[in-house]
Amino acid sequence: MKNYRIVMVLLGLLLIGSLVSACVAAPAAAPAAEEAAATEAAPAEEAAAAKPYIPVISKGFQHQFWQAVKLGSDQAAADYNVDITFEGPATESEVDKQIEMLEAALAKNPAAICFAALDTQAAIPLLEEANSRGIPVVGFDSGVDSDIPVATAATDNLAAAALAADKMAELIGGAGQIAVLVHDQTSRTGIDRRDGFTNRIAEAYPDIEIVNVDYGAGDHLKSTDLAKAVIQANPDLKGYFGANEGSAIGVLNAVTELGKVGEIVVIGYDSGQQQMDAVRSGAMAGAITQNPIGIGYKCVEAAVKAINGEEVEKVIDTGFFWYDATNMDSEEIAALLYQ
Amino acid sequence: MATAEKVFSAPRQTILRSNAAQKLLAFAALIVIFVVFSFLSPFFATTENIVGILLATAVNGVLALGVTFVIVTAGIDLSVGTVMTLSAVMTGLTVSLAGWPVPLGILIGVLTGSVAGLINGLIISRMRVPPFIATLGMMMVARGLALVLSTLETGTIKPIYFNDVPLFRQLMMGSVLSPLLAPVAPDFNLPNAVLILFVAALVAAFVLAKTVLGRYTVAIGSNEEATRLSGVGVAGWKTAVYALGGTFSGLAGVMIASRLNSAQPALGVGYELDAIAAVVIGGTSLSGGQGTILGTIIGAFIISTLTNGLRIMNVPQEWQFVVTGLIVILAVYLDILRRRRS
Amino acid sequence: MGDLLLKMAGIEKSFPGVHALNQAQFELRAGEVHALVGENGAGKSTLMKILSGIYSKDAGSVRYQGKEVEISSPRAAQHLGISMIHQELNLMNHLTLAQNVFVGREPRQPLRFMLDEAKINAQTQALFDSMHLRLDPRTLAAELTVAKQQMVEIAKALSFNSQVLIMDEPTAALTESEIEELFRIIRQLRSKGVGIVYISHRLEELKQISDRITVMRDGHYVDTVDAKKVTIDQIIGMMVGRAIYESSPEVPERPDQAVVLAVRGLNRGTAIRDVSFVLKKGEILGFAGLMGAGRTEVARAIFGADPIDSGEIFVKGRRTAIQSPRDAVRHGIGYLSEDRKRYGLAVGLSVEANIALASFEQFVGSLGVVDDSKVRSIASRYVDLLSIKTPGIQQMVRNLSGGNQQKVVIGKWLTADTEILIFDEPTRGIDVGAKSEIYRLLNELAHAGKSIIMISSELPEILRMSHRIVVMCEGRITGELSAAEATQEKIMRLATQRSGMVAVTENSFAAKAKVR
Repeated sequence: MKNYRIVMVLLGLLLIGSLVSACVAAPAAAPAAEEAAATEAAPAEEAAAAKPYIPVISKGFQHQFWQAVKLGSDQAAADYNVDITFEGPATESEVDKQIEMLEAALAKNPAAICFAALDTQAAIPLLEEANSRGIPVVGFDSGVDSDIPVATAATDNLAAAALAADKMAELIGGAGQIAVLVHDQTSRTGIDRRDGFTNRIAEAYPDIEIVNVDYGAGDHLKSTDLAKAVIQANPDLKGYFGANEGSAIGVLNAVTELGKVGEIVVIGYDSGQQQMDAVRSGAMAGAITQNPIGIGYKCVEAAVKAINGEEVEKVIDTGFFWYDATNMDSEEIAALLYQ
Repeated sequence: MATAEKVFSAPRQTILRSNAAQKLLAFAALIVIFVVFSFLSPFFATTENIVGILLATAVNGVLALGVTFVIVTAGIDLSVGTVMTLSAVMTGLTVSLAGWPVPLGILIGVLTGSVAGLINGLIISRMRVPPFIATLGMMMVARGLALVLSTLETGTIKPIYFNDVPLFRQLMMGSVLSPLLAPVAPDFNLPNAVLILFVAALVAAFVLAKTVLGRYTVAIGSNEEATRLSGVGVAGWKTAVYALGGTFSGLAGVMIASRLNSAQPALGVGYELDAIAAVVIGGTSLSGGQGTILGTIIGAFIISTLTNGLRIMNVPQEWQFVVTGLIVILAVYLDILRRRRS
Repeated sequence: MGDLLLKMAGIEKSFPGVHALNQAQFELRAGEVHALVGENGAGKSTLMKILSGIYSKDAGSVRYQGKEVEISSPRAAQHLGISMIHQELNLMNHLTLAQNVFVGREPRQPLRFMLDEAKINAQTQALFDSMHLRLDPRTLAAELTVAKQQMVEIAKALSFNSQVLIMDEPTAALTESEIEELFRIIRQLRSKGVGIVYISHRLEELKQISDRITVMRDGHYVDTVDAKKVTIDQIIGMMVGRAIYESSPEVPERPDQAVVLAVRGLNRGTAIRDVSFVLKKGEILGFAGLMGAGRTEVARAIFGADPIDSGEIFVKGRRTAIQSPRDAVRHGIGYLSEDRKRYGLAVGLSVEANIALASFEQFVGSLGVVDDSKVRSIASRYVDLLSIKTPGIQQMVRNLSGGNQQKVVIGKWLTADTEILIFDEPTRGIDVGAKSEIYRLLNELAHAGKSIIMISSELPEILRMSHRIVVMCEGRITGELSAAEATQEKIMRLATQRSGMVAVTENSFAAKAKVR
């Protein structure tokens, strides 16, 4: 009787899931499926067992940025004929989850590891173990703050945020009030982008006042309501910097909902369709883009080179760029943006 | 005549003695918070900011409506946040990707919530899994499904945008009231989302107070065994309560998708706690049997007013969590005090 | 008395480990009050729960209004016109009286899903009026006293047009004047032809209100007698019957010895009223009474588990203020709860951990580290001494039988050096073989100079074990018997002896306290 019920419920769940996918996936899923088939088919043809295995452990998974990183590492895996897995914790505060992932990866005796540490100190013992077992570690994104990695493929977030500050100063005419919305106050990228931006303003632009620095957890809705309150409280606000995709969209929504498009200069970070549309329409003045696909590609590439005993650069700067309506369709920039 | 008098005097008496105390207290707290912020900042009590607060309450408020029913039965629903997200993604898939008509997409979004709630209810009432566990499971399932469904477009997890359907965003962010209000208050641009919150609250209040479902919600929360012995099909009604809770989550999903002009598949975790906090601040007892929709709405407003006010005051954000947390504890403590006295 | 309304015959019901009803039978006529009596566990409530659709019978037949019926649920019973008012009241405190009366079959407005509040209020008012009850249908149930709530339950039952009304211990929480009110309504119903089943322990009440009395014992039907022609002594005789395990009392003779525990004027609300007694060294003092008589409450008060309003406790002649179980343990008092699994044992822990639980400080070394070897040696000693049947001292207590679990609890208190042991229903849930072992153990403990209070609802057990017997009823001590003079009949008489001199105000306060 009990079992029967469980089966019933599971069946129900399955039914709903498949119904849903069936209904809506038909037009959309076909290309996706082909794509997936294409990427999966290539490695499947060759002797899977012989291929080196490189786990890529990132700081996140769900967000588009990480999905773009994953795309790059998948490409590199196909190009260099290696097996990779890509995983990351659900939020950037789950240090413990990431450590577990690293432990699990080490247990599988990989050829190399690509790792973006949420908390370097917490990962050091495991990385030392990898080092002693001769498993090369390649850092990416915020990297690993130690000598162990043979290479690190990353954006210089401090410098990138400083570039955003320069652009902000230029766009508001070098004086006035501005605010900053960051995703969180504990992650490396959050801290670097905040400090990179605020330090640059403090050093170079004495007439610009940062009236508020807030944290919206990268949650679009919460960031929106938060930014609205800040704009309400500062009617003379001339510029607003959103330090990641969710924050930037929040700021953008707030400015749009309050009818202040054009009055407040909005600068974003990373891409995604919404930001790109806003930049194109002028609602957002511009944004910093990293090279997430490049980060993913470079770290796997570096790992492959390390496995083969080739020389690798210690620091692989994957670069960052300012984009706005004028240059976003250029070949150089367009390649870096993800929808 | 005498009976008529009795009939009219009695409820007033009981209201004063019981629920109203906390409701009044919560309402008074809201007023105090409002007045204090108004004095502290000239930017707080502006029309635009008040509309902002109303709008910021919309999603959490609608979620809290559903949670109220569940908590009144002495249950809990942890899945409302991610079910909301799943509903948003379903609306996105149907409206934006499949190109179905907007009303149909909205219906599917809302029904997704209902179905998730129905499954919660069946697991709880038929399989006898405790609500905490059942809805915790559903929270994870819905989160996973939302992510999976969002990969249908490109193979990677990606928000679904509604750029091709400008009508969809207008649903929440447009204002049907503005033309009506224009002669009186031209600045008062009240978005539909706020209107929907109030209509949903009215419906919820009506269901809780005036319908059979509402009656059994209270009865089950007050004394489940006695309700069963009275010949009420408790399992069925409980299932209905969770399905209703899910329906509100579905509605919230459509609302958040419309507001953000996108279905964000990674959103929603933690929203259930805000909703539960609103319900509790509003005087609904976690031990079941009592709770009001008005209280819940006031609770939701207290949270969003605090958040907004503290932002406007530029109080470090860390303190906002501290303040909200203390208010939740205080609200529950007052409830306990009140019950001890009666 | 009218026509035969109901006839139950050959009813069988078993629960795991218990044969609750064995060929039980019962009949009811229209317009009679038929009392159903028996000791705790005689099967009265089980039989009535079968009639009201809460339990299903294993075998037997129920004929109602001349037809054979199957009653599958409370709802089915209600449809037939059979309603039961349970001992623990079943109102929903957060709903109004009218809402309570009509829960489950609310009249709806034309739109079907909406409630018609005005209609249920009016109907409830009419119902109350017909019962001459002065209650407002719109008050919340929580605001009523127990007595009033009971009236509402009766009104609810009547609203089903009930032909059979079963009342389980309806007067348990009522004052004299409230009982009068209840009886007035019962008589009124009887005159209208309703058949009433009246379950009660209060035998003197039965003579007042009932027409016939059916006695049950150990799940069997004993007899049905005319209430007018039977004496209370005869009823008690039928209830007690022959003892199930008749064996010569194993009461060892004890010379009078020093008083180790004296309790004077103990009071707690209405649960404990002016309780005084003494306990001597090496003595087993039996506490007899019906369930809810206040015996467990007295034990918990002495043990410091519940606060007391007034009263003095002397341990070995010295007045002591016991505020908490911790104090009680320090004074050498141990309490073995009737609910071993909830209060007496950590069933998920090992035998040795449980034995050391009440006296852990003994086993902790200077650094706060538990001295495992000491725990082990003491645990092993008690396992031998009490012959606890366990594969080892590391065995989880959950896996032991009831009797052995009880021994572990005893071991726990012996380890804690307790002089006074209060056993609350020590053999409940323990099979017959293990029972005699527990008895032997109690005797040995008494021989060894421990003083024992044994609370038991099983009269043969009380008679067999005790040197003296204290009988309680409704929070009071109604008598004390020596082993020589005690009989089941005498105990039963004392256990059902209600005090007629209770002030009304005090009692109505009690009723309110119960609501809370």
